[in-house]
Amino acid sequence: MATLELVDVRRNFGGVKAVDGVSFSVTGGRITGLIGPNGSGKSTLVNLVTGVLALSSGDIRLNGQSIATATADAVARSGVARTFQNIRLLAEASVLENVMIGFHRLERSSALANLLGLPSSRRETRALRERARGLLTRFGMTAFAELAAGSLAYGHQRRVEMMRAVASAPDVLLLDEPVAGMNDVEAAELGTIFRSLSEDGMAVLLIEHNTRFVAELCHDVHVLDGGRLIAHGTPEQVMRDPAVVAAYMGAD
Amino acid sequence: MMDFLRANQPVFDFFLLALGFAYSQQIVLRCGVFSLATAAFAALGAYACALLLTRVGVPAFVAIAAALAIGALAGWLVSVPLAHLRGVYQAIATLGLVEVIVSLALYAEPLTGGAVGLNSLPKLVGTPELLIAVLVVGYLVHSISGSGLGRSFDALRQDEMVAASLGISSRRNHALAFVLSGAIGGLFGGLQSLYAYSVQPTQFGFAFMVSSLTAIILGGRRSLLGPAIGAAILTLLPELARPLAEYRPMVNGVILILVVVFLPQGAGDTLFAAMRHRRARLAAAAAVKV
Repeated sequence: MATLELVDVRRNFGGVKAVDGVSFSVTGGRITGLIGPNGSGKSTLVNLVTGVLALSSGDIRLNGQSIATATADAVARSGVARTFQNIRLLAEASVLENVMIGFHRLERSSALANLLGLPSSRRETRALRERARGLLTRFGMTAFAELAAGSLAYGHQRRVEMMRAVASAPDVLLLDEPVAGMNDVEAAELGTIFRSLSEDGMAVLLIEHNTRFVAELCHDVHVLDGGRLIAHGTPEQVMRDPAVVAAYMGAD
Repeated sequence: MMDFLRANQPVFDFFLLALGFAYSQQIVLRCGVFSLATAAFAALGAYACALLLTRVGVPAFVAIAAALAIGALAGWLVSVPLAHLRGVYQAIATLGLVEVIVSLALYAEPLTGGAVGLNSLPKLVGTPELLIAVLVVGYLVHSISGSGLGRSFDALRQDEMVAASLGISSRRNHALAFVLSGAIGGLFGGLQSLYAYSVQPTQFGFAFMVSSLTAIILGGRRSLLGPAIGAAILTLLPELARPLAEYRPMVNGVILILVVVFLPQGAGDTLFAAMRHRRARLAAAAAVKV
């Protein structure tokens, strides 16, 4: 079973302790929520896990192996996928091409085979195109396959980004505010997708502002404030926690 | 028709050479690297080829293969210190490299002949050799486009952070693009030295850089035919517009401005993208009706 463990993770920016000794773990088959007010360190934590930022101290382990010093692309190859807070698609490319690039981790053709256009390389491209079409069907996006990704509506762009992230069947999926700017219907649809991904065995970490969405979906929730974890438990326990209420509403 | 072709054969040869250098320029731009080093790779290839042939006496095809290998090696060496630079800083660093190579060619007079260059080289390369080289390089570019390598290059160009989040290494792919750019640049530099009887440092200066880059800006960074369109505009237009010969730089400048303003992805890429989107819209409309 896939596990992502954070062990006493710290990150300073000059004198500011953006993430200050955070430890928790995310396991396969569960959706774990990470909530916290603006500026509490959620985005920094995502960047630390995905190798975009380096840790000041502490360790991050994927299935027991440390990934704390790996570069962003190496972290992704080891099986950690993410979506971005502001949707980032390859705007010039079509929807199908955006999904196909998500299969990069599974590509086996050597650079030389690709360069020479060997049959193995062509077969691989054909096979991945078929898999991408299968994924489009599952997400109900077949009609948009050849359209430029940048020309789609917001909700559809979010789906393309999701497909791209899960295309290579990662062990861990980090969702950085995936339903921001969506209406309740769109959010519920995405929620169903997240649930089915976690039931397939993926470890899902959901970073969200929308506490109602988190409460509906997550098995357990961690609350971050000022770079520290101030509470964890089931959604019901966490929402009633006086420390959490104080962090969100302001003490007194 | 045949008379026209025969009369314009040198123009066609210049077009093929310009196209080769344009492919060398395209492959780095496609990968999101703003390198101007094609001029340096071409100069290295041209001098290496001419010197090996005249001083060492190796056969022509060995000299040309060596030009290719030296270009590839130079590309790899350049990629290492440039791994941390992006955008305009890459352009400035590679501009510096071109200046260093041209200066070396000027001042290492006993070896390179200085400003006079290497002259009375045998003419061993003609239209067939240039055409074969362009077709081989074109095939490789086509193969890259249909493979994971092309997808990685396109992703890195459009959004490096997204590419990294999907496991695509910028270091590895940028190095590979530099090696390919160096190999193609060195190959066509070598071919040019055995085509044009002579090699001079001034051939590989600022004008060379601008014209390779312009071919891609005019044609496009992604498509196979884009560089051909760009190189054709640059080499054929002056011939077709002989009455305007005096104003050639101005005509080139005006075309460049028009393309940048109205077709920012280049004439070739814009045209092919428009055709693709038209087909996609029709297909989507048909799917909705059903």
